[in-house]
Amino acid sequence: MVSFLVRNGLILGLLILVPTFLGEFWAYQLGLYFLYALAAMGVGLAWGQAGILPLGQGMFVAIAAYLAAYGLFGFGVSPLAYFAIPLSALAAALFGLIFAIAIFRGRSEQGPSFSLITLALTLATFQVATTWASVTGGFNGLRNIPGLPGLSDFLDLYYLIAVVLGLAIAMVDYLVRAPIGALWRAVADNERRLAFLGYDVASLKASAFAIACGLAGLAGALYAPQQNLVTPDLAGFAFSGDLVVFAAVGGRTTVLGPVIGAIVVGVLSAELRDRFPWWEIVIALFFIVVVLRLPGGLMTLFAPLRRLQLARSPMPMPSLAPVKARIAAPCSVAFEEVRVRMGDVTILDGLSVETGDEGVLCVIGPNGAGKTSALNVMTGALPKRGGRIIIDGVDVLRPQPAAVARSGVGRKFQTPSVFSKLTIDQNLAIALWAGRWRGFDLLRPSLFGWTSPLLDEMRRRFGFLTAGGKPASDLSHGQRQILELTMALITEPRLLLLDEPCAGLSHEETAAVIDAIQWARGALNLRIIIIEHDMELVRRLADRVVVLHQGRFLADGSVEEVQGNPDVRAVYVGGSR
Amino acid sequence: MESLLVTQAINVAYEVLILAVLVLGLAVVMGLLNVLNIAHGEFVMMGAYTAYVIQKAGLPYLAAVPAAAVFCGLVGLAVERFLIRPLRYDPFDTLLATWGLGLLLRKLVELAFGRGFLSVEIPIPGSMDILGEAYPAYRLVLMIISVIVLGAVFVWYARAPTGSRIRAMVGNPALAEAVGIHTRQLARNTFVAGTAWAGVAGVMIAPLTPVEPFMGLTLIVNSFFALVIGGMGTVTGLFAGSGIIGGLQGVLSEAVSPTLAYISMLLLSILFLWQRPRGLFPRP
Repeated sequence: MVSFLVRNGLILGLLILVPTFLGEFWAYQLGLYFLYALAAMGVGLAWGQAGILPLGQGMFVAIAAYLAAYGLFGFGVSPLAYFAIPLSALAAALFGLIFAIAIFRGRSEQGPSFSLITLALTLATFQVATTWASVTGGFNGLRNIPGLPGLSDFLDLYYLIAVVLGLAIAMVDYLVRAPIGALWRAVADNERRLAFLGYDVASLKASAFAIACGLAGLAGALYAPQQNLVTPDLAGFAFSGDLVVFAAVGGRTTVLGPVIGAIVVGVLSAELRDRFPWWEIVIALFFIVVVLRLPGGLMTLFAPLRRLQLARSPMPMPSLAPVKARIAAPCSVAFEEVRVRMGDVTILDGLSVETGDEGVLCVIGPNGAGKTSALNVMTGALPKRGGRIIIDGVDVLRPQPAAVARSGVGRKFQTPSVFSKLTIDQNLAIALWAGRWRGFDLLRPSLFGWTSPLLDEMRRRFGFLTAGGKPASDLSHGQRQILELTMALITEPRLLLLDEPCAGLSHEETAAVIDAIQWARGALNLRIIIIEHDMELVRRLADRVVVLHQGRFLADGSVEEVQGNPDVRAVYVGGSR
Repeated sequence: MESLLVTQAINVAYEVLILAVLVLGLAVVMGLLNVLNIAHGEFVMMGAYTAYVIQKAGLPYLAAVPAAAVFCGLVGLAVERFLIRPLRYDPFDTLLATWGLGLLLRKLVELAFGRGFLSVEIPIPGSMDILGEAYPAYRLVLMIISVIVLGAVFVWYARAPTGSRIRAMVGNPALAEAVGIHTRQLARNTFVAGTAWAGVAGVMIAPLTPVEPFMGLTLIVNSFFALVIGGMGTVTGLFAGSGIIGGLQGVLSEAVSPTLAYISMLLLSILFLWQRPRGLFPRP
């Protein structure tokens, strides 16, 4: 907390003192670049943190600028004019939120289509702003917008903008270090894993985008009194592109990167544009270099400053996470005549199977039997074409990953799926928060200190989990398997789906994992469905074995019964039936 | 009234065909290779400037076709080598990198030729009679060439093995390499072919549009959204997308206003990107 205040206090002080050093001439120009910096910081937040690239932020700047202009015209010299600024920014944020929720809801793909929609929208806004002259003033825009009452010259307005920018930097700095920031980075890293932990990914993405739009709106709302002019150019393709360039050149993954990008590119452009026509080529080339080689942008140059430790967050105090309310009984699942098709291929061909009173159910079958697909259709990763899937006695018509996870189903994938760019501690923390956070918890840094008895036990069993600061990408394949298993376990599910949990593990690791699974099953009164090829493992764990073949139920029973079944022998050995 | 309808119908057909020709290069690069080349319009722009240079030099207009193809193809070769390949043909990264490339190319052309509009003289002046209506001859010639080119592409794509080799490469590069497809060369050649064709398209439209550094932007927007609506990687998608966008633009700008046509196109594209991001006829 102290380092947070010191850091952001220094930045704010610096912003306010600039005119004293550089002279008042710069105050007007810098005020404008600070506004660009506000909007660029939003681009950095959405893109560098949550991984969604907005190509049309100019639209939100423009909307807020027009709204603020009307507010300033309407209120005149009344102090109420000051309300026009936050209200216009808020309108932009709300619009962004509604828009993003509409687009992201029910869609999990990470394609560029969101970026392209924002691009198309800003192009459309530009056209509307140019054509609808009675409201927007058309091509020439709204002119002679009054300044804010009580601010006598541009220097006064400069101080206001500097304070707003300083506070915005502090806010973003706080957010990216808070749990919500870790979740945004988790969205960018592995959206599927987050959904299968039970998080509402669409809302997380929309929240990042809405804040970005709020910052763009703030920039637009202050632009109106700063320039006394609002034209459709704000919604133009070029301005939105510039904001992306500022964020990229400065460094999108850091808080200050986009701010520095906007100021440096802005100031240098103003100085060099006339004297040195090649200047913009330098910017374009640098942008390309950033995309190719230097994802950290200009901020890479400031990396040594980190040693000053102004940016380090202290370790939060460990505290016990709130107990997760859960039904004691394991979760039951029944498939009735479930069909899945992909194109011309039938994957599940009327699969009927259900859990009984066993604790560990092993699903076996030759490759292509539909084992993983059965888990996928149950958790909403594959669309079902017929039949019923009944979870806990409820017929789930269209399973969604997050909803299934919230009903108490944990899942570990066949190839380990963790947040590879996040640290081990962050991976575990995100799993632990799932279903436990309430209200404004995601803004409280103390959540990073949460722990649970189950997590402590897993850390005791697997020592590498205590090396918390290490990024998950540095772990071996086996360690990632174990990390993902731990993440699935500490959500305290009532049904755990494991897809070849020991694939690629050493002999010792396999033994330790089997031991941990058996312990967790007792501790949580948990049902486990395991897909496995390794018959040795099946023999040690299974209470009941189900055999699938070509998308259908073939046989079930104890390990011995199944092994003695002539049908099962036929499909495995290929003998005649 | 009837005569007006004929002219308008030809105008709409012209819009659709020219758009299809412009989309063709982008369809190769974006539909087949998944490279979101946002600088594609700049290649068309460079083709148009090549036509201007050739005409100013007093050479026959037809000479601009190979000149633009070679010039844009060479630039495309460099771009593939130093931009697209290092980014491993990733859709998102190439979108960003070609965004920067677009800035660069626009600025370079602006430095070389200035910011103003240049005009290229129409190589085939005069008009022809269609159903009793006079129609500019050059436009008619363009339409005929477009039909021939698009028809040839349609037949070639359905018959020649290159199409399926490209699809194999995009679907599974390692496997394609294993069955003997030189994926690196194939990808490079495909990309270069797309950019070279963009140059030729630039030569075709240069006499009918103001030639200026920013002309690529409007072209890329239309082509891009035509592909979004039609669907990537199929010839049917190319025709459907060009038909819808070109037709909508043609009809609405004649009947109401160009602004409304443009906004309708954007809204339709947004609807598609939102609800059906793979378009009408996507590659299976």
